[in-house]
Amino acid sequence: MSRSFVPRRSVLRGALGVGALAATAGPLAACAPGSSGSEPRKLTGTPSASAKGEITIWNRSGDLFKVFDAAIDAFRKAYPDIKVNHQAVDIDAKLANTLISGTDLPDGSFWDDAKIGGQAEHLYDLTDLIAPYRDKTSAYKLSVNTVDGRIYGVPWDLDPGLLWYREDLLEDAGVDPAGLKTYDDLLAAARSLREKNPKARPLHMEKDPFLGQLWLEMLAGQQGTSLADADGQVRLDSKEYRNVLNWIRDAVDDDLVTHTEYLKQADLAALESGQQALVPWAVWWSFAPQQLLKKGKGKWRAAPLPAWTPGGARSGAMGGSSFIIPAKAKNPELAWLLYEFLCFKEPGYSAVYGPSEVYPGGLTTSVPSYGPARRPDKPLFEPVAALGGQDLWKVAVDAADTIPSAAPIPAWWAKSVDYLGNNLQRLIEGKMAPDDVIDDSTKKIQRNLVDRA
Amino acid sequence: MTSGTLTPPRKERTAPAAPRPGRSSRRRPFLAPYLFIAPFYVVFAAFGLYPLVFALQLSFTDWKGAGAANFIGLENYTYLLTSEEFWSSLGNSAVMWLLIVPVQIVGGLAAAVLLANARLRLRGMFRVAFIAPFVTPLVAMAQVWIVAFDTDYGLVNHLFNLVGLPDVDWLQSTAWAKPTLALLFLWKTTGFAIIILLAGLQAVPADVYEAAALDGASRKRQFWSLTLPLVRRSIAFLVVVQTLAVFQMFAEPFVVTQGGPYGSTSTGGLYLYNHILASDLGTGAANSFLLVLLVFALSLLSVRLLRSRDE
Amino acid sequence: MTSLMTSRTKKPGRSLSQPRPGPLQYLVLGLLAVVFVYPIYWAVSSSLKPPADIVRDPLSFSLGSATLDNYRAMFGDVPIGTGFVNTVLVVAVKGAMTMFFCPLAGYAFAKYRFPGKNLLFGVLMLTLMLPTLVLVIPLLLEMSQLGWVNTYQALILPGSIDAFSIFWMRQTIAAVPDELLDAGRVDGASEFGIFARIVVPVIRPGIAALGVLTAMNIYNDFVWPVVAVNDESHQTLQVVLSTLAQNVTGNRVGADFATVWGELLAAGSIAMLPVLALFVLLQRHFINGILAGSVKG
Repeated sequence: MSRSFVPRRSVLRGALGVGALAATAGPLAACAPGSSGSEPRKLTGTPSASAKGEITIWNRSGDLFKVFDAAIDAFRKAYPDIKVNHQAVDIDAKLANTLISGTDLPDGSFWDDAKIGGQAEHLYDLTDLIAPYRDKTSAYKLSVNTVDGRIYGVPWDLDPGLLWYREDLLEDAGVDPAGLKTYDDLLAAARSLREKNPKARPLHMEKDPFLGQLWLEMLAGQQGTSLADADGQVRLDSKEYRNVLNWIRDAVDDDLVTHTEYLKQADLAALESGQQALVPWAVWWSFAPQQLLKKGKGKWRAAPLPAWTPGGARSGAMGGSSFIIPAKAKNPELAWLLYEFLCFKEPGYSAVYGPSEVYPGGLTTSVPSYGPARRPDKPLFEPVAALGGQDLWKVAVDAADTIPSAAPIPAWWAKSVDYLGNNLQRLIEGKMAPDDVIDDSTKKIQRNLVDRA
Repeated sequence: MTSGTLTPPRKERTAPAAPRPGRSSRRRPFLAPYLFIAPFYVVFAAFGLYPLVFALQLSFTDWKGAGAANFIGLENYTYLLTSEEFWSSLGNSAVMWLLIVPVQIVGGLAAAVLLANARLRLRGMFRVAFIAPFVTPLVAMAQVWIVAFDTDYGLVNHLFNLVGLPDVDWLQSTAWAKPTLALLFLWKTTGFAIIILLAGLQAVPADVYEAAALDGASRKRQFWSLTLPLVRRSIAFLVVVQTLAVFQMFAEPFVVTQGGPYGSTSTGGLYLYNHILASDLGTGAANSFLLVLLVFALSLLSVRLLRSRDE
Repeated sequence: MTSLMTSRTKKPGRSLSQPRPGPLQYLVLGLLAVVFVYPIYWAVSSSLKPPADIVRDPLSFSLGSATLDNYRAMFGDVPIGTGFVNTVLVVAVKGAMTMFFCPLAGYAFAKYRFPGKNLLFGVLMLTLMLPTLVLVIPLLLEMSQLGWVNTYQALILPGSIDAFSIFWMRQTIAAVPDELLDAGRVDGASEFGIFARIVVPVIRPGIAALGVLTAMNIYNDFVWPVVAVNDESHQTLQVVLSTLAQNVTGNRVGADFATVWGELLAAGSIAMLPVLALFVLLQRHFINGILAGSVKG
């Protein structure tokens, strides 16, 4: 889950060694060379509170690991007879290999939503276990990890897209943030900002192809569509995608765009100088004003995203992760117990999102997928000083409620960045037209990914 | 080993025996050479051949790391051979080759000629300096490259700015990303090339030069007509080794650019890896064998081209 | 051609016909040396700077403001000590196997005639052209069948006797005069005895070079170790480095880039220093070994 906040691309870059070697296999039942040949396993029963045993749980390294450590301590108190080995692991490099080899598997692990569908063969079918909670769990999160109607990854974090803006600059330019109801309003606001400050290029557009595509999916998801439909077919050639791509082209043509890589130095400089003032991005952007920005600290605010059509959904999801239990796990029931505790039980999710040693105000970079944990009147994290004391919780959970459900993320999603992600960059650079982005990406994804899936 | 009983050679009989006709020494033992080379073939069979046969089998299937492996004949091969990206990965490698091999041979030879001069002082120091990059861990240096060639805050642009040059988008532009990676490769391996060439130069007997000098040959002519033909073998060796390395280059783009921007640094090795990354193991295996064939052909070609006429 | 064994130690003999190098030559070589060494110096010196300075002023370095903060942070982040211990173990065992079996096989190819020799040597040379990547997945599955994932033998055995080293040793041993071997035979030494007591002492510089090169290669290897091992207790140094590299891509919440760069440079430096030290100590053997081995290449 940790990478909800940050570029989720060690699969493409960074993680050295052979990364997710098998990140995208199809869910096939038969035996394969080297595979165990076991039928997909279903986990149904849950053990009682007096359960005993030992489990190994994988998580990414970094500060979030420490947050989870504290939350798992709460679990240990509730289930004193379960020993939890919580390990920080380079999940992108290791988990897929480990699932293939079936050796020294964890009993449970957090993993990117985009990776799970392809590994269903190696995972427990958790459909029955999540059934009691289904109604109250984000429909979007349930939809992305469903393979042939079965759920193999149970939802962890939900990452609604928000509009991040500089309150001071908008005020100077006479723009009322509450009036930013559609994406056309957003372009108008950007023009006003540039009139006030000729150096301003207020809108952020992402330069990293992977994050850029993730961002595009947020804008499309807001309209209830996504790159692939439930049958895994590309559905890029649609009104919804055209809306987004044309809007991007308009912004670029009007010279309203700062084209930088997410929170790299150039991006930070443009945020600090006031050149950028409007950033439509997931809730995890909140860590920028809190940890990275100095001059702009306290001046940023969050609002729901504008809508594509008046009255349309005001948010879409950008990234997210779920919890999986390998089919060969030794103690799957106990791993489920831990997940259930962290996700659905009040002491569990409060320990994750609430104030902790690492984050004294609480974890503000995502919201729970579970409805009862996401009540606007019962904030888990505190108002954020770096956002001028704004109640980010309320903004984020309200936005999260509007996220439309989607289709399963295709196993080839990450690889499609070579086509769609790169073409999006060409569009932002003014070198490609929206229709060409759609045609070229569709053709290449079809030929190289869908046809060969 | 063959020798259960090792008798120490007796000193009084170690005086060089007269060379005997018929090279008897190579005839006598029958079993020994097989036993000496056996360990390699055992290890290779277990951890090379077995997986290799498996990979060959995979290359005719659509196996994705899980589920059934269906036999699909040559489909993976035809897919690759008609794929724009496959050819562009080879094209990228070819450009890398041009940026690396000629530069390394010419530059390395020049440095080696300077180093070979017996009257050069500090020769040992220069040699150590040149070959130091060769022993540094590639992963570590690739990471240093990322930091040093960062557009906004990197060392190189900082230096550029100091002398009044503008920032260059080293790793973010299609024009510069290849040269920047080539530079890493050159930096890391040119020292090795220099030493190899130096070895070739030093094997040129001095009297050849003295005779040439007496004949009144100019230095330039000495170089072209004496030195170059004599280091030809070293050059051929380097060209083969570096051609193999460049076409299989993987770690540099993997760590530094991940093949970007716009796939401009997606080398043969990296493109192959990306199939594996996406668990398209059948295509990955097919790609490997195509790459092996290409590299094999290129090596043969370079050996041929560089073979001297008299051989 | 003069005997390799002597030419490598001999000064190049054409001093008489050579001019004294002029300032220009020194300048060129000096500049080249700076280009080669500076990145290493820069990485090590930057790793000792406060993180903010690495970004703000990449050139400056003063001993006065040197700090070990980056190293402390790095040690707190990744189990680099375990990585070192594992790497040393793998280098020692795998290196010993290479050093024993490769000269032996090289000797057989250089000095014996036996049926099938050309074919066997051809196979050996062919294996040089296999990209490592071809074998990664099948090998991983094989390890899994053997139950060897997360074991030292998985790190050590594959590639422990490699074709390049054998080829190199064959080149080196080919230069050993046959007369020496015949003398051994007259003495009644066994075939292995001839290798151990006559060949090995003569090619010692070449073996030393092989040792340095092998140790370096195993030390720097990272593709296979990352795949073969997924528990922390067996990770090698390069695998630990790769874990740290995740942070560069911004994986770590709340850390700014300067801090991440600092840790990365610290880890890179600490990984570099043992090999560099080994190399500087043994550079004579290393360079002479290459000189000796490659001439007939």
